[in-house]
This record gives sequence, C-alpha cells and structure tokens, in this order.
Amino acid sequence: MRNRASLSRSPRSFISTAAVVLAGALALSAVPAQGASTPGVSATEIVLGMQLPQTGPASPGYNKVDDAMRAYFDYVNSKGGVYGRKITLVTKDDTYKAGLTVSTASALINKDKVFAMVGSIGTQTHISVIKDINRRGIPDLFVNSGYSGFYTDPKKYPTTFGGLGTYIVEAKILGKHIKENFAKNTVGIVYQTDDFGRNTVEGLATAGVTFTPKKTAATFIAGTQGSGLDAQMQQLKDNNVDVVVVGAVASAFAAAVASANKIGYKPAQWIVISVGADATTFQTILGARGIPAASSAGLLAGTISASHAPSPGEADDEFVKAFKKINDDFNKGPDKRWDNNILQGMNIGYLTTSALLGAGKDLTRPGIIKYIESNAAKLSSAALAPLGYSTKTHEAFTGFWIGKYDAATVLKPIDATRKVWTTDSAKGAVTELKYTRPAIAADALPKVG
Amino acid sequence: MKSLKMRKSIAALGAATLALTLSVAITPSASAAPVCATAAGVETCTGTLTNGAGYVFKVPTNFAGTMFFWEHGFRPTYPGVSAVPKGVEEITPGNQTNNTDVTKEMMRAGYGVAAYDGTVKGMRGWNNTFRIEMLKEVIDTAMAKYGTRIQYKVVYGSSQAGAIITPFVEKYPTYADSVGIMAGITPSPADAFQSACDIFYLLSIFADPTIKGCTAFGVKGVPGHMASLGELQKVVALLTAWSKNLGAPGLEHPAALKGSPIPQRSALLLIGLLTGVPTKSAHMDGISTNAVIAEHSINATVAVLENMGEAVATGTLAAQSASEITGPGFYDNTKTDWAALLDEGDAGRYNLGLSGDEAITAMMGVLAASPRVTGNADAIAKFKALDKSNFTSTHPTILLSNEADRLVFAGNSSRYVDKKRAAYEAALAKWEANKTGKKPVWNTLALYAMTPETYTKFTAAGLPDLAGAPAASGVGHQTFSKAQTMAWVRMLAVSAKSGNIPTGKYVQYIAKKVPYLNDDLDYRPTDLKYNFG
Repeated sequence: MRNRASLSRSPRSFISTAAVVLAGALALSAVPAQGASTPGVSATEIVLGMQLPQTGPASPGYNKVDDAMRAYFDYVNSKGGVYGRKITLVTKDDTYKAGLTVSTASALINKDKVFAMVGSIGTQTHISVIKDINRRGIPDLFVNSGYSGFYTDPKKYPTTFGGLGTYIVEAKILGKHIKENFAKNTVGIVYQTDDFGRNTVEGLATAGVTFTPKKTAATFIAGTQGSGLDAQMQQLKDNNVDVVVVGAVASAFAAAVASANKIGYKPAQWIVISVGADATTFQTILGARGIPAASSAGLLAGTISASHAPSPGEADDEFVKAFKKINDDFNKGPDKRWDNNILQGMNIGYLTTSALLGAGKDLTRPGIIKYIESNAAKLSSAALAPLGYSTKTHEAFTGFWIGKYDAATVLKPIDATRKVWTTDSAKGAVTELKYTRPAIAADALPKVG
Repeated sequence: MKSLKMRKSIAALGAATLALTLSVAITPSASAAPVCATAAGVETCTGTLTNGAGYVFKVPTNFAGTMFFWEHGFRPTYPGVSAVPKGVEEITPGNQTNNTDVTKEMMRAGYGVAAYDGTVKGMRGWNNTFRIEMLKEVIDTAMAKYGTRIQYKVVYGSSQAGAIITPFVEKYPTYADSVGIMAGITPSPADAFQSACDIFYLLSIFADPTIKGCTAFGVKGVPGHMASLGELQKVVALLTAWSKNLGAPGLEHPAALKGSPIPQRSALLLIGLLTGVPTKSAHMDGISTNAVIAEHSINATVAVLENMGEAVATGTLAAQSASEITGPGFYDNTKTDWAALLDEGDAGRYNLGLSGDEAITAMMGVLAASPRVTGNADAIAKFKALDKSNFTSTHPTILLSNEADRLVFAGNSSRYVDKKRAAYEAALAKWEANKTGKKPVWNTLALYAMTPETYTKFTAAGLPDLAGAPAASGVGHQTFSKAQTMAWVRMLAVSAKSGNIPTGKYVQYIAKKVPYLNDDLDYRPTDLKYNFG
C-alpha cells in the first residue's frame, strides 16, 4: 500500500515526470482499459483469490483451510496443472473484519488480477463484497458459508456458488432427528442473531422444531461471545432445557460449553450446526481458556452434529486416505494436523480443479460459471451428497448425515449404518438420500466429461 | 458546497446579528473591461460582471492556450455558521485552508485560470440558474480579452458546481472543450437532499422528537434561514452529546424502545446506513479496534457521527437555500420504503454495531409504524426538477470524488456516469440504425481518491483521536492532495485538446504514481439511496 510518505517525499519530481509523460506520450482514445484476455489466466497460470481470517479471534481452525487448498493445488501443479497451467492461490487475511474484506477483495481483483475468488470464509464478511464481486462478473466459487441467501437466487448473485450445504438444509435434517428422538425433552436453542442464526432457526422451524423467545430461545449478537454466554446458558438452565441446539460459530459453541460448565449446567444433549462443531476450533478456543485438550475432548464427546463429507477420522474412506497423503506431502502451512478444516480445504481444492478442468482449455469467467451451473453431476467431490448447482440454485451439497462425537473427537454416524438425508432450502421434505459418490481416481485428480 | 464545520457560535447566533449583516448588499453595476497587471510572470486581470459580481483571470507568460474556468461550490448568503465570503476567494480547485491550492502549479504548467464570485444581487445560496449565465459571461469576457490565444476551454468546478456545469455545457456546448466535476452534486440534487432530509426525520424518531428538519425549510429570506438554523442547533446538540458518550446510553426515543437494550449508537449507525453516510471518516477507518472500540462496526458508527458532525451545517444551509426555490413542503416520505434503504450487506456487515437482528427488526418496525411527512405536491415537483440535465453532452468529462466524501457522497459520481452511459448507448443505438454522422464515443471518466486501508488512531485513554491529522486521502469534501488535483487538471487539459478522455491504461499508469488515486476503473462507490430520474 502506498503511504503518505511517498507523497511528501517527492511530489514535484512526480509532477514533472507526469508532465513530460503527458505532453509526449499520452495516447487518447475511448478504448476500455481491459484487454480481451481473461484476467488471471495466462498460458502457464491460473490465479485464484481467497479471503479468510488467518489471524485474530475468528481464525482458529479456519486458518488451516487455505493451506490445505494450496496443498491440493500444489499437488495438481506437480502433475502438470490444468491444461498445462499451474494454479496459484493468493490469500488475504481479513481478520474477520468486513472493512478489510472490502479492501483485500479490491487488492485481489486489481493488484493480483485473480481469475476467480474461491473458498472465501465467513458470512458477515463475504456479504460485504458479494455484490461487487458479482457486479464485476468474477466467479465467486465454493464460498465457505452455509447462508442460503448467497445461493438460492442465482439472478441476485449469478457468479456465487456454495462450498457448504446451506444452514437451512442442515437445520431441517437435524430438526427431523430432534423431532423423532427428543420429543419428550425440553429443546432449546442458543443462536447468533444474524443470517447464520436466522437460517438455523428457519430450518428447524420448517422441521417443526420451534422455540419460545427469552425462554427456550437464547440469543446473542455475533461477535460478542468472547466475553462468554453466561446469561444465555443461565436462561436455558432456568427453563429446564435439556437439549441445547447451537446455531453459531465454533467460538460461540465453545463459549457456551464453557459458560454452562461454569454454572454446573449439564444439558443431556448438545446439537450443533456443523461449522460450529469443528473439533480443532473447539479445542483451540477452550485451550486458550485454560481447559486442557483431554478435558475439552470430554466436553465435546456426545455432541451431535452433521456433515456432508466423511469425518476426517474415517481412515478407510478413499478420499480421506488420498487427501491425507497429499496433505502430508504438500501442505506447507504452520499447522498441517489432519482435521475437518484440512479435509474441507482439500475438498474445495479438488472441486475447484474439477470445475477448471470441466470449463476447458479456453478458460473464461462466463465459461466456468456456465459449466458449473450445467454440470453439477460431473463435479465430483468427497461429499456424500451430490451438488445442487443448476441455473435455479447455486447451493452446494444437498445432504448431510448425522453423527456424534466420540471421546477421540471423531464424528461417528449416529445410525448403525450411515444414513444421508437430503432436502432443499425451502419447504421440501427431508428424505433419505440414495447416492453413490463417484470414486476418486488413483492419481487423486478429478475426472470430468 | 464549501465545507463548513459546526461552530459553537451557532447557539449564540441571534436575529439581530443577521439583520445587521444583511444590510450589506452589493449594488449591481455595469460590466467593465478587466483591469490587468503583471507580476512575477503572471498577468492578473480583475473586473466585474454586469450584475456586479467580481471575476479574476490569471495568465502566465508561458501560457500555452488552455484556459480553465472555475465554478466554485456552495456559499451561504447569510452568516451564522461561518462568515459570508466576499469577492472571488477561490481561483482554482483546492482547499486553501489546508494548503492544497494548486494555482501556482497551474501557472507553472502554463495554464490560464479564471474564476468568479457567484453572487447574484448580493445573494448566494442555490442560485444555479443565474450562475449558468454568469459563467457564460466570464468566458465571453475572457475570449474578448485573449481572443485566439485561448485555444481550449476547460470548464470545471466543485460540489454545487456540478449542478451548474452539467446544464451549462448542454446549453452552451461551444463554451467548453472538456468538463471537470469535482465532488459534484450531480446529476440530481434532489437525490442527495432527500437523504439529508431523511437524517433529520430519523433523528426525530430515534433521538429528538422536536426536530422538524426539512419540514421547517422553504421559507424565503431571513426567517427561513433562522428556522433552518434552529433545526441545525437541535442536531448539533445531539451530535455533541454523542461525541462525548459515543452513543452508549440506551434509547430514550421512541417510547416503544425506551428501556430496551438497544444503545443510542445503534440507532445512529442505522440512520447513517439508511441515508448513505460513509462509514469511514476523517479519523475513523471503519476497521481498527481496541479495548474501547471493540468492534469494527463501532468504529464505523463513530465515523458516521464524525461525518454527520462535519456535514450537517453545510447540508442544512444548502438544503434551505434550495428550498427557497421549491417552497415549503418539498420533503415527503410517505412512499419511502425504509426496509429497502437498509442494504442487506450493511445489515450483515454492521450487525454487531446495530445490536443484532432483533434490534434491527425492532428499530425498523418502529420506523415503519411512525407517522410520515406529507409534502406539498407543487413543491415536491419543483424539488425533483432542480437543476435537471439530459446528459447528452459529448465533451470529455472527468469526475473526481473522495471515496468517503461526507457531504456529497461518492455515489453522485457513479450516478452521473450511469446517466451519461444511458445517453451514450441511446445515441449509439441511433447511430447503429442509420450509420450516419459521427459515431458516438464514450467520453466520461470517474476518478476516485481512496482512503488508506487503516488510519484510526486512539488516545491514551483508548478513545478515538478525532483531533489528530485526518486520513491522507479519500475523506472530507472537495479535499484532495495537490498531486490528485493536478492529475485531474492535467487530464482535463489533454482531453480538451484531443476531444477524448484518457485511455484506461494511461489512467492506471497515473494512478500508480499519485498516492491513493484509484487505479480500479471498474470501481463503483456505494449507490445513492434515491433516484428521482
């Protein structure tokens, strides 16, 4: 970034220089600045951009996703890239502050000249740039947010595609489980009063699980969980809530558990939307509060959550096996410990590579958007549910399975045989999904066409 | 509009002061040939227009044939917020109070400059119709004086001048070879004034029910001026209190929200977001945090406070001046959809500062149910017709705006470009159908001065330091660095010669040399909240 010092050092010399240039070399025409070539694409390279909190309170866990994506792209590059082009991922740290999301998006677009944004993390941060990214026609691929408002109306955000199943779909599926298994319990919720929390409540309500404000529904404003959720937990305890649903980020879930622990509140069951139940994030945050890993693992154990992909602890899963190997060999990040964040990053890298291959050698921004919209079935991934992309919706994974964390912080299917459930982000029913995930190739590269 | 900061003297202002000052009226006199003198390589000529207003020409010995005609921004007719300026006090762009006047640089570059005092019969204010003719007279006088020595004419101006220059070049197309609009209130002043009036209205709902705001405007002369100052005083009192407690206390108004956990600052931020007040200000970057300003949306709230504090005086005087044309009742919000004015992105991005979705819903609910202001149909029609243009001028036109202009929002520039684009595309379609005559070319360029990424400083107590140096760029109204202003001036000069705006490649080249001048040709600032066509 240029600074004021550069102005005060030599304004006259600049003015003189500018005058000479202006007088002698200024070519004038009405031709637009941009050339015919696609930004971020050359004969040898495809440049992609990503925004995420690499530092700051919201960074634990999330700050591993980009390293995993880069590791997968480096693997692809080691195999010759995509049609001979190597993939370069440029990442920007927005520290989860939307003002920095705006400025770093500008840098990625104008300085780094990215072809597309990919895998950016955060609902409240991404909402501050999504309109501008779309206005410019830049592909906004596989966003790591489950907020349905980004994806369910492609006319509004035509270039944006999800990288997670929506919070509504997940909440509807969890809601069905709650209705069937906790009918005799007093079910409450703690949620953040924003798009994420609102999506969660909406999905649960669609499934028939509703709450009473100020009694079984405890709310907090996203970003305030740092000082704890004592009052919210006390409220739920006072109202005899014994099943607590959490519609909030992982740091809030950790804060809720810590607060409950502090007041001796031990709900019979925690049920957490998947992005809030990441084990690494949970344990890192509680670790910062002085709770050792063994204890935090114990606090997480028994928690119900959901996932669209296999659990990172499923060592026999072919995608887990392949991604884990690539992570071992190519991840140069400071924390490459295998977990859900790494798996998600790898999967987004795999999905991105798949889309780039499918879009063809003559890569253009409209071309890749059209390809993704028209070829969801060809875009394989590690997920156990298909992608929902079409011209009518840009939602990603349309199904989740429900699991319970064990003592080793591994999410295990709650059913004897894993069942994957599917629904939409509207009023459609929740039904069991019969889907056979395409196998991963021996070389762990996606195959399209 | 020249920026006028709030002053403590507002409260002490009395009608007696006004009456005394208004006795000083300028008597119109016949125009006379300019009186010239040369010193230090610059010929300076002064004279008066037929209505008695003064003008100044400055032509250096190295004059290369390009003459710049400057149209200044808003000046008040009456005292009260600042002294009433006299004579030609601004010859070229730039804020003389912070040493960014570029007259010397323009002389050195060999440009001639001209400026005039936009006073009409002793009155200033929103006198745009008169000033279109005065500007023509200035140019005629300069052409009579210098003849063919003037090869190219650049008409440029700032703020209120945007609403003068645009119709001027449409009415007198041969009087300009290129057009420059700096922080211009254009294409429709009504778009901007409506949001300014909304600020008053919203403050009356959430903070002080005695505020009448723009419903108190529209009476001509001293009574109208005094009424507007009375409204201004109420707002100043509110902003002064908030500047001390940063809006931390709970809402006192409306009654339905009294006792709720919603702090006053959330309502302040909501008012800013509904009216388009920038969430960056001279000292607040909307990002930096510390123990006291614990979240970036609170930084943005203080930015809204600072911006309102610096803009409210000028905005009030300008709106009152314009309302002398429309008459009382120009403001009407019976059809305003408040929910539509709250951008989805803003509600998410500033969710914490707004105290979460529940607070947003509560505040918007109260607002939706609040009594509306019903205006006067005739006044509303005049209001929406203020300074209208058809945007058919094909002269190269270059706009310059600050990203976070607190008074004339940057969205004016993008709206102007939209209007020009629509006119251009219509002309192009017509040409495509007939293929006769000269093919239309796109000839409008919007430049933006951006802020640094972060610049907020905090005092030892952790409070925002609002007394220190402002951001190096991108904030304030019609305040630019010399390098930014001169880059704009030089582009105008070259465009006047060629008849075309610079290439995008060249703009990007220059932007890399001029600190904080935006090199993103596809940049679009936040849109204005209203579009009255």
